[in-house]
Amino acid sequence: MPIEGLSIIGESINDSVPSTHQMFEAGDWDGIMELARTQDAGGAAYIDVNVGMRTADFMAEAVRRIQQVTRKPLAIDTPDQDLARAGLEAYDPAKADGQPPILNSISPLRTRMFDLWAIQPFRPILLVSEHEVDGRAQPCRTPEETYRAAQCLLREALRRCPGLGNQDCIFDPGIAPIGSDVEGNLVRLIRAMEMIHNDPEFAGVHFSVGLSNFTVMLPSRRADGSPVKGPLESAFITKAKPLGLDMIVGSVKRRYELLPPEHPAMQCLEDCLQRPGFDALMRVRQFYTES
Amino acid sequence: MAKPEELYDAILTGNAKMAEEAAQAALDANIDPNELLTKYMIPAMDEVGRRFECNEYFVPELLIAARAMKKALELLTPRLAAAGAKAAGRVVIGTVQGDLHDIGKNLVASMLEGGGFEVTDLGIDVPPERFVEAAREKGDGAIVAMSALLTTTMTMMKKVIQALEEAGLRSKVKVIVGGAPVTQQYAEQIGADGYSDNASGAVALARRLVGA
Repeated sequence: MPIEGLSIIGESINDSVPSTHQMFEAGDWDGIMELARTQDAGGAAYIDVNVGMRTADFMAEAVRRIQQVTRKPLAIDTPDQDLARAGLEAYDPAKADGQPPILNSISPLRTRMFDLWAIQPFRPILLVSEHEVDGRAQPCRTPEETYRAAQCLLREALRRCPGLGNQDCIFDPGIAPIGSDVEGNLVRLIRAMEMIHNDPEFAGVHFSVGLSNFTVMLPSRRADGSPVKGPLESAFITKAKPLGLDMIVGSVKRRYELLPPEHPAMQCLEDCLQRPGFDALMRVRQFYTES
Repeated sequence: MAKPEELYDAILTGNAKMAEEAAQAALDANIDPNELLTKYMIPAMDEVGRRFECNEYFVPELLIAARAMKKALELLTPRLAAAGAKAAGRVVIGTVQGDLHDIGKNLVASMLEGGGFEVTDLGIDVPPERFVEAAREKGDGAIVAMSALLTTTMTMMKKVIQALEEAGLRSKVKVIVGGAPVTQQYAEQIGADGYSDNASGAVALARRLVGA
């Protein structure tokens, strides 16, 4: 049962997924197209396309092949300018009922990607987990830094992309694995989302996170055999949805759901927010080692 | 009464307070700090690594154990230095230029420290010349460890290796690489000496390379 108001950017066509990597290596386009079909049928609103460190021609070929089998718009997912260009050039909006692709992602350090708007209008995912300090790139360590990065990037996007509106912009505040979060990244992210959500300048914008990153490096099962990852990811959605989270890069196979406050995963998440650092790590460990 | 085996248990279970107390009690009882390190602490971290490899432990356990190890090590370090004890090896580690990701790098650095290595963490967004400078400072036999999370930044690893060659240091140091987009194949392609896809494996790799 999908969560109302939450769109999924299907994550399977990504070079970092070992089975997909194998398909790319083998030139198994039938397999790749099947992944697109399956995610489309599974309810994905967008199909992510991340070909890793391959050529621009390869990205273009991937976009063309995938658009043969789905009418869902694609998310061109690369930090590489040339690959992004190739993906956008190959993308045919007519094959997606006129819908533009997503370009994932533009960060304060990659604003050159806005130039690609001239090739093909897109919905940008704006990555605001990093910013520039004295001319040097730095991760955003506080909610305030994240908020300011979002403000700068939104203004830059609206200035450089004629016709782009708030409603086209998707912010990615940068979700980190909860299993290694000793620096309070989860607190930064949630507080930053609150600040952005409450600021009228950002009215209409969207939020997205790469949700699988949240639970990477954790076991799949708790001590009682129940799942670890799905509930923790659902807990995050439950917490972040009222703050504007309406998209995720995630799996169409995962049964995301909104959790009640008394759910163990929800309690774990709230405790992590209250006691960041190693206490949070211990709390996550407690979640999966104790029934 | 000092029970050094408690130090082993404290690190294995990630109990930082107990690790500090056990280390202090052992030192107060004049137990050789090098013996504490080599017989209890490093074996504890080795066991943590073994459990990680067979999916009994996960990243939270690694981090919690590494913190307990670090707390105990802080107490031992002055006495180890005074006794002239040598580290298992010297490592300079950093995330390559243009890349701000540090989770994996920090994890590897912690585990290497836990494995008895002297680790100099150069941080994130580290330019090739900084790797070269640090490698030169550490001298012959040092390990240069590089991390990258982006396909656009992993190419900097090759530039670091080239910079080490140009500085005449390549044959004097070992280079290891890791990070989500990095593969064994890529490591070989750029001329690195080793690759690991996890922190525990990086410690074993570093030991192999220094013959420890």
